[in-house]
Amino acid sequence: MASTASRDMKGFYRQKKSGGITKGKTSKASTSKKQQSKSATTLGSDVAQTPALISHGALDINDGYDENESVLRQFDMNMAYGPCLGIDRLARWERAQKLGLNPPKEVETLLREGKVGAQCLWDGRV
Amino acid sequence: FPAMGAMEIEADNTHLQRKHSLYRSLDEKFEIQKETYRGQQYSQIYFARLHHMRTLLYSLLPNWKPHLPVCTVLGLEEGKECIIVGTLYKHMKLKPTILDEYSKERSVVPLVKPHNFIHPDDHLVLEDESGRVKLGGTVLLPSKYVTGIVVALHGKDSGAGDFFVQDVLEAGLPPQIEQALKSSSIAYLLLGLGVNNPLPQNRMNFYHPYGIFGEDKYVVFVSGIRVGSNMSNPLQFQLLVDHITGHLGDVKVKLHIEQEQSIAAQIVHVVIAGNSVEIPNGLLNGQNLGSKEQSMLSEPIKELDILLTQIVAGVSVDIMPGPDDPANFSLPQQALNRCLFPGSSVYNTFRSCTNPHSFGLDDIRFLGTSGQNIDDLEKYSEATDKLEFMERTLRWRHLAPTAPNTLGCYPFSDRDPFLLEECPHVYFIGNQNKYETCLLTGTEGQSVRLISIPKFCETGVVVVLNMRNLECHALSFGTQFGT
Repeated sequence: MASTASRDMKGFYRQKKSGGITKGKTSKASTSKKQQSKSATTLGSDVAQTPALISHGALDINDGYDENESVLRQFDMNMAYGPCLGIDRLARWERAQKLGLNPPKEVETLLREGKVGAQCLWDGRV
Repeated sequence: FPAMGAMEIEADNTHLQRKHSLYRSLDEKFEIQKETYRGQQYSQIYFARLHHMRTLLYSLLPNWKPHLPVCTVLGLEEGKECIIVGTLYKHMKLKPTILDEYSKERSVVPLVKPHNFIHPDDHLVLEDESGRVKLGGTVLLPSKYVTGIVVALHGKDSGAGDFFVQDVLEAGLPPQIEQALKSSSIAYLLLGLGVNNPLPQNRMNFYHPYGIFGEDKYVVFVSGIRVGSNMSNPLQFQLLVDHITGHLGDVKVKLHIEQEQSIAAQIVHVVIAGNSVEIPNGLLNGQNLGSKEQSMLSEPIKELDILLTQIVAGVSVDIMPGPDDPANFSLPQQALNRCLFPGSSVYNTFRSCTNPHSFGLDDIRFLGTSGQNIDDLEKYSEATDKLEFMERTLRWRHLAPTAPNTLGCYPFSDRDPFLLEECPHVYFIGNQNKYETCLLTGTEGQSVRLISIPKFCETGVVVVLNMRNLECHALSFGTQFGT
């Protein structure tokens, strides 16, 4: 259970600065309070964490968020390519291409590689 | 058996051959079989519409007001004259909203609605991706516009929170492909090779699309037949069928036979623009149907199929779904299923088409609907007659601007199929109260025949168009005299 996690959180998780859209505030490891880091990317919930991760305090707070995802989120947010909700990222890229909007090539490469999220950042959250 | 062409009518040893026209279906953009629904909302289709129309309007700006800067709505500066392009939204006081239905007691009987929702307090708003701005001034009359049109506006931010409009630019009539007065036989051979027009090989060498230059070929438009309703008179429709198939003609006078039948032999195509059946209303209330009710449900369609079989045996027919036909509700309505017409669908002259429907006959482009697009415009705006609404849709280059706002529409994600890329030569709407027609001319030499087809079950009137000169007249099969 989470409450029985080790009191010294420092050794168990890496603090990572989140840039771009997420404005998460990770809790200080120096306090000895039993506090779990609330990552903004998971909106404070640890529903996606397996019990094993929680009990060892090694939460997957990255939640699949890295530079590639950051690039894709910028693509999602760009109004020039139209609304991003309800359409796959690749379909939206192809639509932008079809309409002559010259969407960035790197977005297409990232999406076709398949290791990134296929849906926009709001998917499942609104 | 003959493919699409000749039907021989024996009349005193004179064999009359039906004339022939090359048909090409242009309905591909209205089909939705290839679309997949991924949970998208209507913002996608509005984006596609705005992007397409804005690109078009930007290309027209240099000829309109080249000296003015173009801004986005959010980039407006107070007092600075500029041009903005966006989608119009009309805020209407009387427009029914879903929330009203929840504020009152829920009743089974629908609330009585006025026929037209216009109110003097209606105002227009222009919206693009960056924002929206209320429109002021007297140049744009809200009663003429509806939500969903994309326009360019010249004006300035008045400082009072709205945009004072000084002038408006609509896209105008799209370009029209010129009718080839002299046919190119190579072009027709190529057209003839298309899948939609299987001409038997031995016909190609002899076929010349116009035969004698400038011969009359007729297209018959009918709509609102409503087989199965109390209003429909089977005799009237049978008269129509007999006329088209050449079975009408006075046997006593030889001249008469040739005249009437030779006119019928010049009919090359029939278009049925929606509302062909009326399913008895009381049956569809969710209760289990006994076998007697089930046969009552299918009677009108069976009757229609029998009538259609008589026509398709002799001439090509396009049947479009209408608002009351057994087809999907939202536009573009998909073709009526062929299994509904076991008798007539065997013939290759039978075509079940989408609504809206676009096709080419020889080199004349036809475009039409079963009336929903114009009827919806009539609820939310004002004009002197239906033809004026039709003209506006052409000038706005959009067949159904109120879709998806007040007219049901499929949520396309990457295109808007109702955008008009080219101007048809004939533009028709079905299920109207009366027959009206006019010839609309555009600034670049476009010429469009606008036709409002009346409801056959109420008027007994069909419309006949001569393809040679795009003239049209009404043909009445009324069986009542003196009313």
